Amino acid sequence: MVDRTDVTEDPPSGPGSAENRGERSPRFSFTPAFVLKLLFLAAVNGLAIAGLPAMLDQGWWPGVASVVVSTVFIDYVYLSRRTVPAKYLIPGTIFALIFQVIPVVYTGYIAFTNFGTGNILTKDQAIERAESLYSSVPGSQRFQLSILASEDGEGELALLLTDEAGNRFFGTAAGLEALAPGEVVIDDAGKVLSVDDFVALNLGQISDRQDELLSLEIPSELGLVRPITATTAAVYNRLYEYDAQTDTLTNLETGEVYTPVQGNFTSAAGESPEDIPGWSVVVGFDNFKRILTSEAIRGPFLRVFVWNYVFAVLSVVLTFALGLLLAITLNHPTLRGRRVYRSLLIIPYALPSFMSALIWRGLLNQDFGVINELLGANIAWLNDPWMAKVSVLLVNLWLGFPYMFLISTGALQAIPDELKEASYVDGASPRQAFRQVVFPLLLVTLAPLLIASFAFNFNNFNVIYLLNSGGPPIEGAQTPAGHTDILISYTFRLAFEGGRGQDFGLASAIALLIFIMVAGVSAFSFRRTRALEDLT
Amino acid sequence: MLKKQWRLMVGLLLVLALVASACAGDDAAEETTTTTEATTTTTEATTTTTEAVEETTTTEPEETTTTTEAIPRADADLVIWADDTRTPIFEEFGRVFGDENGISVAVQEIPAIEEIDDRVIQAAPVGEGPDIFISANDVLGGLVANGVVEPLDLTAVADDFAQGAIDAFTFAGQTYGLPYAVENIALIRNTDLVPDAPATFDELEEIALGLVEAGEVEVPLAIQQGEGAPYHNFPLFTAFGGYVFGTAEDGSYDLTDIGLDSEAGLAAAQAFAAWGESGLMDWDVTYDIMLESFGNGTAPFAVTGPWAVPNFENVNFVVEPIPPVLGGATRPFIGVQGIMVSSFAENPLIAQTFILDFLATQEAQEAFFAADPRGPSHKGVLAGLADSDPNLAGFAASGADGIGIPNIPEMGSVWTPWTDAYQIILQGGDAEAAFRNAADQIRTAVAG
Repeated sequence: MVDRTDVTEDPPSGPGSAENRGERSPRFSFTPAFVLKLLFLAAVNGLAIAGLPAMLDQGWWPGVASVVVSTVFIDYVYLSRRTVPAKYLIPGTIFALIFQVIPVVYTGYIAFTNFGTGNILTKDQAIERAESLYSSVPGSQRFQLSILASEDGEGELALLLTDEAGNRFFGTAAGLEALAPGEVVIDDAGKVLSVDDFVALNLGQISDRQDELLSLEIPSELGLVRPITATTAAVYNRLYEYDAQTDTLTNLETGEVYTPVQGNFTSAAGESPEDIPGWSVVVGFDNFKRILTSEAIRGPFLRVFVWNYVFAVLSVVLTFALGLLLAITLNHPTLRGRRVYRSLLIIPYALPSFMSALIWRGLLNQDFGVINELLGANIAWLNDPWMAKVSVLLVNLWLGFPYMFLISTGALQAIPDELKEASYVDGASPRQAFRQVVFPLLLVTLAPLLIASFAFNFNNFNVIYLLNSGGPPIEGAQTPAGHTDILISYTFRLAFEGGRGQDFGLASAIALLIFIMVAGVSAFSFRRTRALEDLT
Repeated sequence: MLKKQWRLMVGLLLVLALVASACAGDDAAEETTTTTEATTTTTEATTTTTEAVEETTTTEPEETTTTTEAIPRADADLVIWADDTRTPIFEEFGRVFGDENGISVAVQEIPAIEEIDDRVIQAAPVGEGPDIFISANDVLGGLVANGVVEPLDLTAVADDFAQGAIDAFTFAGQTYGLPYAVENIALIRNTDLVPDAPATFDELEEIALGLVEAGEVEVPLAIQQGEGAPYHNFPLFTAFGGYVFGTAEDGSYDLTDIGLDSEAGLAAAQAFAAWGESGLMDWDVTYDIMLESFGNGTAPFAVTGPWAVPNFENVNFVVEPIPPVLGGATRPFIGVQGIMVSSFAENPLIAQTFILDFLATQEAQEAFFAADPRGPSHKGVLAGLADSDPNLAGFAASGADGIGIPNIPEMGSVWTPWTDAYQIILQGGDAEAAFRNAADQIRTAVAG
């Protein structure tokens, strides 16, 4: 089967090489690379097969279909010889789908739901929760319990109850009856073994028949007898009943009737019981309406919005200016020790930014920070509204300039010296040469990176939140907001530190709006960049 | 020819795939269903009598700051989620319980107890959650609102536990968790600097500021501000009669009655402004600065909880209640940790049996206490405390009249406005306006 000579004659150089061998007879040859490919495909198929049972369990058919179709497609593409372009396109497409498209689509979907604290379940789950709530009957006694079942533990379930006076009762779904002492078979240790043909279950058997036991309600004069643990039982009353016909939930104690409103069972008076959960539903544009009309959200919104743009633009401009300056300086061929300088400058970039932000927070502490101590001053770095803005920008400058330095150095080295020399020959001063020749060329390469940097800083949650939590607070704001809050940290406060906990619907709606803003600015900038490219 | 090759290939692939999927097992299933999430630092120890389940310890790259990655449910009859301190206890008692009853118990370690509730909320509804988990009482309301926690009938064991601890796990008339630890803050006094306990808070202020003036200390009162300000300032706030939410007639919280802009709350605001003015309290005292200054003897007093005490081994100190302010008693927030059953538990009855029959005993409660000496909630364990651990006895004395942190989900909208208000006050802003505005912010947030 395996053609050994074929292997030695024509060692393949990679997974794609088999296709490039032209018009040979179609055949799979077991070269090491091919075996590797096979193993990889096996892993992909294995993942798919391992994942399918869970999806089948939940009856999630779109998931099952997409896994089967995509897996078969991947197998076909990598085993066939006629699909060379697809072989290169597929990995990128898969990663783009997983990391870009799906999160954006999912965020978009969540923005139109009420998903968040109190509304995370499905409606069926919420009803099941409500119907499984019992109230214990006041003053009712507790029973010692043995759980029994007929037919060697496989048949009907029964509860053997012993009250505090030692009276025994035998309960099945049909009802409760008193037992004479002789009817119970007990071992020497006092452990119940059997009653008639009902035998005691051990915990393993109880675990296997959990669901039946939990739905077992033994009617009695006081209420429903139910097991609390495997060894105790008590009398309870049901709290809620759901009527599927009218789609209403009734509180059996008070008689209050609740109807579903926006994913919560709500009474006629507009109140929802606090002991039962709501569920997640699509609420249309409600979240967007709240953002646009709620006095509380709109209050500080404009200030936050303006500062967000100022912060993002200044961050890019300042870091780029400093980075470029250093790059030009260190690009000078006569400078000694350039490598050492360059390595040192990259340090802030190499540290994790959330660590640096926390360290800066400590350094800038007004009364106990090292910086004020060194300066012998008492500057309110983080506590004064204006100084806090300056501090945030300075720390972001410290964090961001090494990146700009790196890309500027790269771009500078890519510009041929001849161009500069040619401009000198034409009589340009060094400044003119830089401004009119080098800088435009630099921007052609760097503009997309600067736009990306703007988008990044527009949502630079780490620096804002970790350095000063968006503070200091704006006095008199309708909703908590700080002088250095940007939209994303303001959103975080609104959606996760207010209301009843977490409001993913609202957070997603704001995230979508931010996405649109950033996309708009980026699209505009890219168009401007194209104009730059025409220069060259 | 070609067809035959293809058939061979497909057959081979299938076999390999089956092998791979068998090796990948449950983890692979997890990876495909939740694409962007991965397993992290899961330490699971599985003990069983009926079958041999291997002990697995997987440690993968450490977590980044904000992402919480999913931890899939372990494969066992009873699955418990606990933090690192409590994991060995559950393992020990789980082993005994499992051996006696022939069921398998797995304990999964979650990096921090504060993360457990969020993880349960994410995992439980999709069937990946535990049967039993631990958490603090202040998140109970959120767990109930999300429908992920099962009522736990504590009537049989209630007499053995402090009533306040059980109340902390009561929500809308049902009990939900077995408490195992109680914690609150107290005054910690450096006995070398201040040999005698101040009788009033005014006296404390005088002593503290006097020591600063004399150059003996740098920080008069090491009380953490910043993020934890409302929690740490609460005893002083209550001395004026302040409260968070008022109570309605039926004992539930009245969400329209916010204590910050009540008469008592505004009086407290003025007092905090005065303490800020005099230099007794300083917004720049963070948790680290509190630890450092009291720990190296440059602060005569600290206000903090039992978790900070291990950092104070270089100074001589006592733990005592914060003295009354103008005759008003100081009442700290009480936080309670407890053991709960998920409403999506696979084995709720077994879980309840394990908790009520095995973990409510004095022996188990003593193990919880020994693992992490916070105030015990079990009366039997509490009884022997004064002799064995004077520090904890001091914290218990401070918390004797404490107030449970409201366990309603709306409490989430209190912390940020209140923190902002304290910052404004301690930095010289208009004190009454700050508390009034914070109360308005809370009302707006609660109303949605």
